[in-house]
Amino acid sequence: MSIVALHTQALVLPEADTYLELLGRALQAARLSNAFPDRKQLQNSVDTLRDGLRLGVYGELYLDARAGLPNMASFTRVRTDHELAAAALARMGARDSLEARRDEAEVFARMAAKHAYYEKLQKLELAPVDHHRVLLRRHDPASGTAAFRIELTKLDASGVYLRLLIELTQVSSLWRRKVIDLDEDGETAAANEAFRGMVYRCADLDAETLFVRLHGIEGVHVERVARGVIGPALFSLPCQGQGVAVRRTMEAPDDVLGQAWHAWSLGAGAAETERPELLVAFATDSAAGDIREEKSNDPISPLLAARLGPQEGARYRALRERYPFKVFKDRKFVATPGLKGVVQAVCAGAGTKNIVYDLRLG
Amino acid sequence: MSAKANLDVLNRQVAYSGEGISVKSLETEIQKERTIQDTKVDELKGLREKNIEIQGAMADELKKLRKFSDYLNGTATKGGFLAGVKEVLSYIPGLRGLALSQRSIEELLKAQYHLSARRVKEAAEYVDTLKQSEQDLYKEIDRINVKIVEMAKNEREALGYVLELKQLQEQLKAEEQAAEAGSVEQRDIQASADKVHAKLAEHSGNVQLYGSAEERYARLKDNTRKLAETIRALANDIQQYTTAASIKLDMASAQIQAIGRAADASVVMLEMKRSLDVMTESMNVTTQFVSDTQIFFRSNLDTLIKELDTFDETTTSVLEENLKKSREIEEARIQAAIDKAVKRQESAPLGAV
Repeated sequence: MSIVALHTQALVLPEADTYLELLGRALQAARLSNAFPDRKQLQNSVDTLRDGLRLGVYGELYLDARAGLPNMASFTRVRTDHELAAAALARMGARDSLEARRDEAEVFARMAAKHAYYEKLQKLELAPVDHHRVLLRRHDPASGTAAFRIELTKLDASGVYLRLLIELTQVSSLWRRKVIDLDEDGETAAANEAFRGMVYRCADLDAETLFVRLHGIEGVHVERVARGVIGPALFSLPCQGQGVAVRRTMEAPDDVLGQAWHAWSLGAGAAETERPELLVAFATDSAAGDIREEKSNDPISPLLAARLGPQEGARYRALRERYPFKVFKDRKFVATPGLKGVVQAVCAGAGTKNIVYDLRLG
Repeated sequence: MSAKANLDVLNRQVAYSGEGISVKSLETEIQKERTIQDTKVDELKGLREKNIEIQGAMADELKKLRKFSDYLNGTATKGGFLAGVKEVLSYIPGLRGLALSQRSIEELLKAQYHLSARRVKEAAEYVDTLKQSEQDLYKEIDRINVKIVEMAKNEREALGYVLELKQLQEQLKAEEQAAEAGSVEQRDIQASADKVHAKLAEHSGNVQLYGSAEERYARLKDNTRKLAETIRALANDIQQYTTAASIKLDMASAQIQAIGRAADASVVMLEMKRSLDVMTESMNVTTQFVSDTQIFFRSNLDTLIKELDTFDETTTSVLEENLKKSREIEEARIQAAIDKAVKRQESAPLGAV
């Protein structure tokens, strides 16, 4: 199935199941640190989407055609199912009695399947579309300083799934305009609406841009900005019973990886109609005072300074002198054998040394 | 004389199927079926009310999403973009009263999307419940049909037996007339005729009961079918509506994110514009101040220079007076010292100054 709505690509069985199986295994293979969105939650969402399709609760899987990942509709589907599961199970009654009436009418077979789906789903913790929290790291009432960690997990509008971590210290003498409110016991904290909104809106900026942006806020000393981004996922899925037809990520990004992917699709990949192929990128991007060497080991995203012209570069250097921090970017990949060469060529072209985990086909 | 009446008919067991029937048992059975119907009707009422509530809420939320989209597209803006955005944001829970730029609109829209998706799903969940109810009712119709057939068969049996008894009654009547009055034979025939009459009364009642039961069950079946059809129609309506709403939501997810992002960007632009406006205002005020000051100085320069004299005449005369007095005191002091020295010299012995 091709594009069905803006940036929305639909997959149906059996390709959708193959895709979700590969994606689930890619998440496991990637050995994600806590810089990334919670792997277990995401895995649960992927597995639940798979169950939903397999049990006939849903007829199709919606993906973001740019990022090649389940889109907001898919994330929301399983989350709302999770919220309704308990009430639905109570209304349905015992699964045995539904199973016993399976042959009586189609509705009982469907309800029995749904019962199994809800029963499994209600025990799981699923990936959020958005999750924002503020953690207090240190609070020194004597000096009037409080250190916080802000964590934002977000299904970005670009289709990638990311986690943003900001560590900052707030000085109490300037708390008349504080960005984070401590409660009276000094143990819990919450970002004020304006700051929360600003962090949310800026989550798609890279760490160094965000670091500079936050550093400009009065009374705030930023120590670290770190992002972990899952995606894009580029896939090629042979369609059973349809000759040489394959389903591919329809709107892959137009960066070096996307271009290499397109070239592969038209070249070696065009002949690959037997095996499913998947390539997923996992990027980290940090800006902090304790980073030793400023470097980008990300073949897709060079440092900001390298992307600026001479005039902007000079201005940016002057800005950086005011804020002593360094930036480190990295990206690792998980790829099936057919796409491993594509990744390696991209990394070699950019002069970066990246981890490429093998994704074995079942 | 005709052949002797066959009294075996009296002893024959009539093959009624089921558990036997009485007015009370029939009423109990019918009541049981009505209770099932009433329960389903109550369920239906509850579901319909819940459905109306959910669909109303859902329509409202979808309207908000659409209206937001319309405002951002510029198709429904009367008071300008900002007024439009503010109006739409006022519909979103938690946003009323907040400054325009505080919360991310993308985040709020996603929360609204989640709420709408949940509503649609809540409504859709009732489709299966209704279909299950419909199936329960059709199963009940099957059971009623079995009852109807059973009642019809039993009525037929009862009718057949009543006919046999009637025939026997007529035969016994003829035999009684032929028998000698008051004879043992006649008394025996009369005893048999009484038994026939009792049986006739019993099974005539059965004819009526089974016939009545058949008709009542048939009416019950019609009502049950109407109920099942109503439930099916409701389930279909809900299914159509929720399917359409689901498709709308599924197709709109990327648009909602894009709209939210665009709105956030627009808000950032508005903030930037507001900031630039403030800056411009500050610059204007400052420039005006500079300009006014310059004109003031130019107009008043001569006066200002004139006024630059350090002391006025009074102060100068005071100073001169002070100085004159100071000199007089100083000269007096000097004179006193000289006088003292001269006096000491004059009184001292020769050679000791």
